[in-house]
Amino acid sequence: MSTHKITRRAFAGALIGAALLSACAAPPVPAAPAPAAPAADTAANPPAATGTKPAEVRLDYATYNPSSLVLKEFGWLEEDLAKDGVPVKWVFSAGSNKANELVSSNASDFGSTAGAAALLARTNGVPLKTVYVYSKPEWTALVVPKDSPIKAVTDLKGKKIAVTRGTDPFFFLLRSLKEAGLNQSDVEIVNLQHADGRLALERGQVDAWSGLDPHMANAELNAGATLLYRNIDFNTFGTLNAREEFLQKYPDYVQRVIAQYERARKWILENPDKTAEILAKEAKIDLAIAKKQLTERTVLDADVGTPGDKLRAALEAIVPILTSEKLVASDADPAGALAVLIEPQAAEAALK
Amino acid sequence: MKTFRVSLNLSLTNSSALAQTQTTPEPPKRRRGTSRWLTLAAPIALLVLWFLATDVLRLFTPNQLPSPIQVLRTASEMIADGSLWRNVAASIGRVVLGFIIGAGIAVIAGTLVGLSKTVETLIDPTLQALRNVPSLAWVPFLLLWLGIDEAPKITLIAIGAFFPVYLNLVSGIRQADRKLVEVGYIFGLRGFHLVRQIILPSALPYLLAGLRIGFGQAWLFLVAAELIASTRGLGFMLIDGQNSSRPDIMLVSIITLALLGKLSDSLLRIVERRALSWTDTFQGT
Repeated sequence: MSTHKITRRAFAGALIGAALLSACAAPPVPAAPAPAAPAADTAANPPAATGTKPAEVRLDYATYNPSSLVLKEFGWLEEDLAKDGVPVKWVFSAGSNKANELVSSNASDFGSTAGAAALLARTNGVPLKTVYVYSKPEWTALVVPKDSPIKAVTDLKGKKIAVTRGTDPFFFLLRSLKEAGLNQSDVEIVNLQHADGRLALERGQVDAWSGLDPHMANAELNAGATLLYRNIDFNTFGTLNAREEFLQKYPDYVQRVIAQYERARKWILENPDKTAEILAKEAKIDLAIAKKQLTERTVLDADVGTPGDKLRAALEAIVPILTSEKLVASDADPAGALAVLIEPQAAEAALK
Repeated sequence: MKTFRVSLNLSLTNSSALAQTQTTPEPPKRRRGTSRWLTLAAPIALLVLWFLATDVLRLFTPNQLPSPIQVLRTASEMIADGSLWRNVAASIGRVVLGFIIGAGIAVIAGTLVGLSKTVETLIDPTLQALRNVPSLAWVPFLLLWLGIDEAPKITLIAIGAFFPVYLNLVSGIRQADRKLVEVGYIFGLRGFHLVRQIILPSALPYLLAGLRIGFGQAWLFLVAAELIASTRGLGFMLIDGQNSSRPDIMLVSIITLALLGKLSDSLLRIVERRALSWTDTFQGT
């Protein structure tokens, strides 16, 4: 029995010893090959040699970002980068929250989000920078089902509202409630991804939904849902964010992505009907829905392109909400994050 | 006997849980003291490793893996403002209710199937097939049929709790010693009395092991249930942390889940030990 005890004690000792040893031995090993070398540390370093090229360029595409769909459809970026032998990889993003996740986990070099969602991620330590504004949308509003008794935002008190937390509709909801003298605890906020939120609204499982296009246009046209409250100024632009490390290492590739994004934007302005077809196909929605989203609620010819003061002003309104609604850690600094979030240089160079 | 048990689909976990419950020599007090320290060794080592990897060596950025200190601070803030407790209370409520419903139905179904060949032929193959449906596969349909409130969550948890209890109870009943049953028969025990005095006591260790595993399953299914369409709960904390790039909140949720799962298992183990010591004395007379 006593030998047994000693063995166990020795085993435990050996276990801890081994654990500590391996921990101490760890640094030299992962330091070199780690693909996601902490961007915060590289922030101080000067940009690496511009001549190097990435192994591949990874972008997200999303139904709320029509330019990404057009780019993906025509393969312009693939064409351009093929000259250097750099492949392009597209990953689907179901919402700003997902795009931020892709960038945070180094699964994508670019993420398309709402400006507010990028600020939230940046404040919470995700190393990304807003390098381009792909649209000035009115993509979110408060939606109620057909024949809803709810006629004003104040009627939402005590009601159940679906929204994807951490995205523009979420910030839109918080600001609309605040404007009407309500806050988060006055309503029941149900977290649902954008597409599921529409289904919940149509099935009567929630009283209202802070929607996002094209799902919102879909609910209006197919289920007779109505927009309870609209305010384009509560939308925080569609922003393309680059992973900070990628931006530092390959600024010229960021410029090339932006240049192709610009090409897509101009093409959309010239070919709204064809764009609607592409959007309808990708989002599996009717052509009429796609047209509504594109022509009525997406501005592509003003305040877009280089991220600048308009975006900054829109995000400054978000800063106090991040803290007051406890969306960021208590010691986080949203204003400081905003100060470093917007990076206009790449777009300025690309749009010259 | 062994092959029989295997053919009844008793999983490895079940039999090892049984082994623990059937051999009950109380270890001497002093050894329990040392083993308690040994138990703490692994979590402490993990904590030290975690601390080294984050705060000391900085192998990870905070948006990938926040340090234990950051997580502790987030946890204490969430305790201070009551949000952690609110989420924990919601989850415990769902788990307990779902478990009671699932285990309750399982006890009825398991008893019927265990006792009657006809009922077994009738429903057991179907249940065995349903058992293999992964928990997440139910989620879209539960949302479709039961809406997005408590009903689909409780139902999913009940499904999770049902199967371990059901399977173990059926096996337990079928494990009753044929010789004992015959002895009871010779002594004139029939029907209900035979079940109560011979079959149920011998099935009890299996039932209790099943309840413990079922409760563990209830926690697993809870997270699947709360990942979609929730406003509070530990699964909600997980998805909210994910949506807003807050891995510290996700870790608070995961650690809380681990602690609650362990705590509830220990509680059930105490219940199990008590219940079984009672059966032992009863069988001895």
